[in-house]
Amino acid sequence: MTVSSKVKQTLASLKGAKGTLRIYSTQTQSEKSKSVYKEALQVTDEIIKDLEGRIQTLEFQEPQYKGY
Amino acid sequence: MPGWIEILLRSVTLFFLTLILIRAMGKRNISRLTPFNFVNYVVIAVIAALISVRVIPNIAFGFVALGTWILFAVLLDYLAMKSKWVHDWVNGKETILIKQGKIMEENLARARLTGEELSRALRSKNAFNFSDVEFAVMETTGDINVLLKSDKKPLTPHDLGSKVAPKSEPQTVILDGNVLNEPLSALGLNKEWLKTQLERTGISLENVFLGQVDSSGELYLDLFDDSIQMPQSKVKEMLYANLEKSHADLMTFALETKDQKVKNMYSKNAKKLEQIMKKLEPILLH
Repeated sequence: MTVSSKVKQTLASLKGAKGTLRIYSTQTQSEKSKSVYKEALQVTDEIIKDLEGRIQTLEFQEPQYKGY
Repeated sequence: MPGWIEILLRSVTLFFLTLILIRAMGKRNISRLTPFNFVNYVVIAVIAALISVRVIPNIAFGFVALGTWILFAVLLDYLAMKSKWVHDWVNGKETILIKQGKIMEENLARARLTGEELSRALRSKNAFNFSDVEFAVMETTGDINVLLKSDKKPLTPHDLGSKVAPKSEPQTVILDGNVLNEPLSALGLNKEWLKTQLERTGISLENVFLGQVDSSGELYLDLFDDSIQMPQSKVKEMLYANLEKSHADLMTFALETKDQKVKNMYSKNAKKLEQIMKKLEPILLH
């Protein structure tokens, strides 16, 4: 497995987590939990952006693995 | 008018009249009455019964007596609400039976309570040892309430220093296979949401005896057919595990890369994720 495909896997699982977090953030009744979910959403979003940037650089460096 | 018709008419009238008047006197738990309240209710009941069976032949006299007892009860309740002095005068004051772990013998005598009765009352509050009790008080209703010494109190999450997710009351949304609209809309959900949830678990509405939505929006179902095993939702645990895995991945990437800048990016993100996971843990895992 190449580095970029590993990063892509992590990216995918983070994106899944983000979706679940978003569901819970709308579903939950308590304001306190809601704000924690929102914060978690923001953090995962930031990490996702960083990882996407990293994948772009990796694909640029190793174009033969692009898309995997 | 034949006698039986008169008694029937009196009974029917008084039945509804006392029902309305007692309701107007307010909600009180019968077992939580002060002795005087109890006497008050009994007198009202007896007067109503006496009028009903014509022991008090003059119906007007009967109503005067009934009205007086009810009116004064309502009046005193109202005044007691407005003034602390009246409240104490009507209801009496609570009596402190144990203070700082010491039994107050004079107060015990004033409350006409023997040591035996006190220890029975404490036992019913799960305080079998007198030495465990810091403070005990006899309320005006005769109830005895107990404050245990702080090292004998039940353990709470606060004592352990652990955080728990805030939880509000659950709402029952399905009862006997019927959807209850009011609690559903109180949660900001609708029938369509419920339908999707049921479809996802593969259970028809008719088969559900009870459905409850907790404060995190999770639906719990109890079915008429107890042989069907309901899958318990593990989404929250999965989510936490997912985040944990991502955290581990980020740490590995940080170790594997040689580029210092990228290394910093990965470890910074790993730290951020770890911090938010600490906050999510009480909500997701408990």
